[in-house]
Amino acid sequence: MARASEVERQPAGGMTLIVMVGLAIAFLLYMAFLNVVKSGNLFSETNLVFATLIFYAGAGALYLGFGVTGNESCVKFASLATWLGLIANSGAVALRWIDAGHPPFANVYEMLLSFVWTLAVLTLIAEKKFGVKVIGTVTMPVAIVGLVLMQLLRTEVHPLAPLLQSTLLDVHVALAILAYAVCALSFALAIMFLIQDHVKTETFLALTSAGTLVIYASIAATCFEEPGGLSRAGWNPGWLMTLALVAMATPLVCYGLSRWKNNDRFLTLANRGVLVNIVLQGLTLAVLLMRAREGGSAAFGGGGLFTASLAAGPFLLTGLVGGIFISLLYLLLVWRRTDLERLLPTADQLDRITYKTICLAFPLLTLTIATGALWANQTWGSYWSWDPKETWAAITWLVYALYLHMRITVGWRGRRAAYFAIAGFVAVIFTFIGVTYLLRGLHAFK
Amino acid sequence: MLAELRTLVHKIWRTMVSVETGVVLLILVGILSAVGTIVLQRPVTRPDEMQSAYSPMVLRVLDAAGLTDVFHSWWFLGLVFLVSVCIVAASIDRLPSRWRYFSRPYKYPDERFRRANHPQRSLALASREAGEESGLAAAERALQSRGYNPERVAWQDHLGIFAEKHRISELAVYIVHSSLLLIFFGTIVDGLWGWRGTINLNEGQSSNIVEMRDGQTRALPFSIRCDAAGRENYKDGTAKRLWSRLAVVKAGQDMQTKEIVVNDPLLYGGVRFYQSSYGANGHLTGLEVSHEPGQWWVWSGLALLGVGLAFAFYLVHMRIWVVPVRDPKTGKPSLWIGGSANRNRDGFEERFNDLAASIEKELKRMTSSAPNAQLAMAADK
Repeated sequence: MARASEVERQPAGGMTLIVMVGLAIAFLLYMAFLNVVKSGNLFSETNLVFATLIFYAGAGALYLGFGVTGNESCVKFASLATWLGLIANSGAVALRWIDAGHPPFANVYEMLLSFVWTLAVLTLIAEKKFGVKVIGTVTMPVAIVGLVLMQLLRTEVHPLAPLLQSTLLDVHVALAILAYAVCALSFALAIMFLIQDHVKTETFLALTSAGTLVIYASIAATCFEEPGGLSRAGWNPGWLMTLALVAMATPLVCYGLSRWKNNDRFLTLANRGVLVNIVLQGLTLAVLLMRAREGGSAAFGGGGLFTASLAAGPFLLTGLVGGIFISLLYLLLVWRRTDLERLLPTADQLDRITYKTICLAFPLLTLTIATGALWANQTWGSYWSWDPKETWAAITWLVYALYLHMRITVGWRGRRAAYFAIAGFVAVIFTFIGVTYLLRGLHAFK
Repeated sequence: MLAELRTLVHKIWRTMVSVETGVVLLILVGILSAVGTIVLQRPVTRPDEMQSAYSPMVLRVLDAAGLTDVFHSWWFLGLVFLVSVCIVAASIDRLPSRWRYFSRPYKYPDERFRRANHPQRSLALASREAGEESGLAAAERALQSRGYNPERVAWQDHLGIFAEKHRISELAVYIVHSSLLLIFFGTIVDGLWGWRGTINLNEGQSSNIVEMRDGQTRALPFSIRCDAAGRENYKDGTAKRLWSRLAVVKAGQDMQTKEIVVNDPLLYGGVRFYQSSYGANGHLTGLEVSHEPGQWWVWSGLALLGVGLAFAFYLVHMRIWVVPVRDPKTGKPSLWIGGSANRNRDGFEERFNDLAASIEKELKRMTSSAPNAQLAMAADK
């Protein structure tokens, strides 16, 4: 089964990763401390959001710790960290609500705050109700990506523009956030299913390295002049990005070689390669963030690193941080696959739980679209304008409708159903974040 | 010749009603819609923006392929039409068997059904005539306490009990699909007979001419007069409230007045007037005007869709049969209990086991008290 790894008690490079993650969290703690000192206020909304990030990142680090040490109490502590993060998260939501005078739905920052809160709640419910204790390995990284995005998208409390003064709109956004969080849960469950269904670790290697390669290649190859204009302003990746791309391609190449020469040694090489490219991904991310801080509204980097406009920055950031987590999760799988399989319910049960989760997500998506149409009709005089956000919400709805059709009428279960569930979540991400920052339209509420 | 034609028609029909066809069509709709969000669309983009975004040759290709106005192109609408046709065809195709299943409940399970059905349970009955009766009574009580409405069923001088809940769930799929068709119908009506435009007014000015996007105008059978309009700002200068006091004038009389704000339009004669802008275009107030006759179909369709989805996901059609049987070899009597659900079968199995345990407990309670009853009756005598 786990041909791709030499199952060591302490995987080589594992300690390096733990040290790196530990440093990252220490850095976060330091930033938080600075913040508290500067503002003189311990329980401000900013600090609580920071605390949330630290706790969720702590949970992620503990899952990684489980990956390195194989110690199961790491999983229990990760759950505890999630609980603590949820308390901080609830505080942040409450403070933002009180501060703004309206529920946290008026811009992407607030929506992300509500989204990660919902996701944490669902994670804890899934751990308890479905007995999937390691669901946090996938959902917590999604929450962390959301929180990192929030740091970049911080918007101060604005009084509501006339357009947004509507209870119906609040209902619509609340439903959307709930629906997206349930979709995220079904995505995590589908991945757990694929693990339990004995999809080969090498396949995960191919998929994750291909995935990260695509993310970085598309960031390097496109230059988002403005939302709506996807143009190629010449290939100008710069040395760091080139290095990162090579590192990302290496595991994929090794995978190909292992298949062609039928030699497992290439797979071990590939896994070492993944370790290296995580370091490079972290470096790229750090540079991007530093550029973003100094550049402000100017273009990211430019000559020497990579060019991308800040308008599309959040989406790029999602890709970069997501890429790191994808690689980390792959390593977790390589090191602890047998333990994971022991901690998870059977493939059949996971398949059914995924289905039940989507049975909850689909009506929520339908209600989201319905309330959105109702509100649009009251505000713009048209319940459907083929606005990109509306259209992509409909496309997402279609993917899940197809999932249900395939399952109910043709009896497609197992792997095919899982692929549909994963495709659905990709559509959700694009609808939630992609449309706002890559395409233009009425819906671009930043 | 006629036979070949009939086979062809049959093949076409089978393709139309198949799930694979529906899936392929929906995937095509999805891909085309995605393209329509990436390629700039003419209805919402100014011509100069179109020209600056694409080179002339690319623009000509996109225009020719209809990709600059995907959602009004004939092949997109044709695709949506095909989807609707397939929904109708598939529904008609499956209707006879579904309706038969829905309208004729299977109330008494024969031996072959009893052998194959899952979940099921057999409880031993006392070897007396009264044993069968007590078994049925115990089952009735257990079922009633769970909200079922058990009925006694007679079949070829056998007696049994049948109970079910939420039979409507079997038709949920029809409710869902009809609601989708309703929504499509509403959007078609709006596409053909609906319109949108703008009216810009100054204070005291009235107008009955609506300016449409393509430059055309439309005359309304009544006028709109703007009596006053205003804009309130927050302390930082951003808009807090845009309002207009409007009056509808017909045949020289004020028919209706309303102060509108964003999110709260004026409705008269099937036409809605929305607060859109203030102080723009050299006018005091800018109003968005729209007429959407098809929207009521869309709203009813959405409401029905909600009901249909609720039925489809949350109402489970559950059936319980309780039949006293006699083992053909040993002659021993027992109570056969069987159940069936159209979804969430593992959840149902738990409920079924619960029910069977409850019937068993009820039976034991009845048979243990029965000897006392016999003694009491004997004592009375």
